[in-house]
Amino acid sequence: MKVIIGFGLVLALLIVLPSVQNVMAAGDTPGEYLDRKELIWGLFYRLMIVAFTVGTVVSGMIVWLVLRFRESNPKAKPTSYEAEGNW
Amino acid sequence: MSGHSHWPEWIYVAVVIALMCYVGAEAWNVERLIEHVPEDAKLITVTGQQWLWTFEHEDGTKEIGELHLEKGEAYRFEIHSKDVIHSFNIHEYTVLMDAVPGRVNHVWFSPNVAGEFDIQCREYCGLIHYNMRGTLFVEDKGA
Repeated sequence: MKVIIGFGLVLALLIVLPSVQNVMAAGDTPGEYLDRKELIWGLFYRLMIVAFTVGTVVSGMIVWLVLRFRESNPKAKPTSYEAEGNW
Repeated sequence: MSGHSHWPEWIYVAVVIALMCYVGAEAWNVERLIEHVPEDAKLITVTGQQWLWTFEHEDGTKEIGELHLEKGEAYRFEIHSKDVIHSFNIHEYTVLMDAVPGRVNHVWFSPNVAGEFDIQCREYCGLIHYNMRGTLFVEDKGA
């Protein structure tokens, strides 16, 4: 269990630390102005990639669960409760 | 608890936490960059009222329904409203900020392409809201 929690923390830190570093390193050079349009649309596209990836994985998992564990699936096995008939 | 392994669940939790951190950090960073107004930005006072926009430059020059800016300069907008809530929008430059009576809102941008662009109200503000428009003229320096 500790190994799994540690792995999760390391994974989270691997994402968080570079992001924080990136934020702190952003420059404020006078006379050079950021392109607001590029920044905002860039953020939008990046977050859309995250959103659609998560959406695809979650919907795929739901579809798989529904098909795999339907009663009519030849591979379906009764649960221990169903097999014993006492619930 | 059943005796089965829980490692897939923990990996799932870790990935979700990592994604949330990534999304939060990215959004925070972009917001921080956008809200940081350059010190040499020129002030434009924008006033919305039913149903037109007026603009006042630092030197006192006033414009109605038109705004002339120089390419490559940074501009800081102080946005006021005289009556109801409006929303100052320059779509081409992703500028959008509400004009609220009794309150001064701020937004800034630096036009990097010369040309004519639409200014519009993006908050329904009454009968002629649809026509509360203006034009932004971005001109090359010295033109």
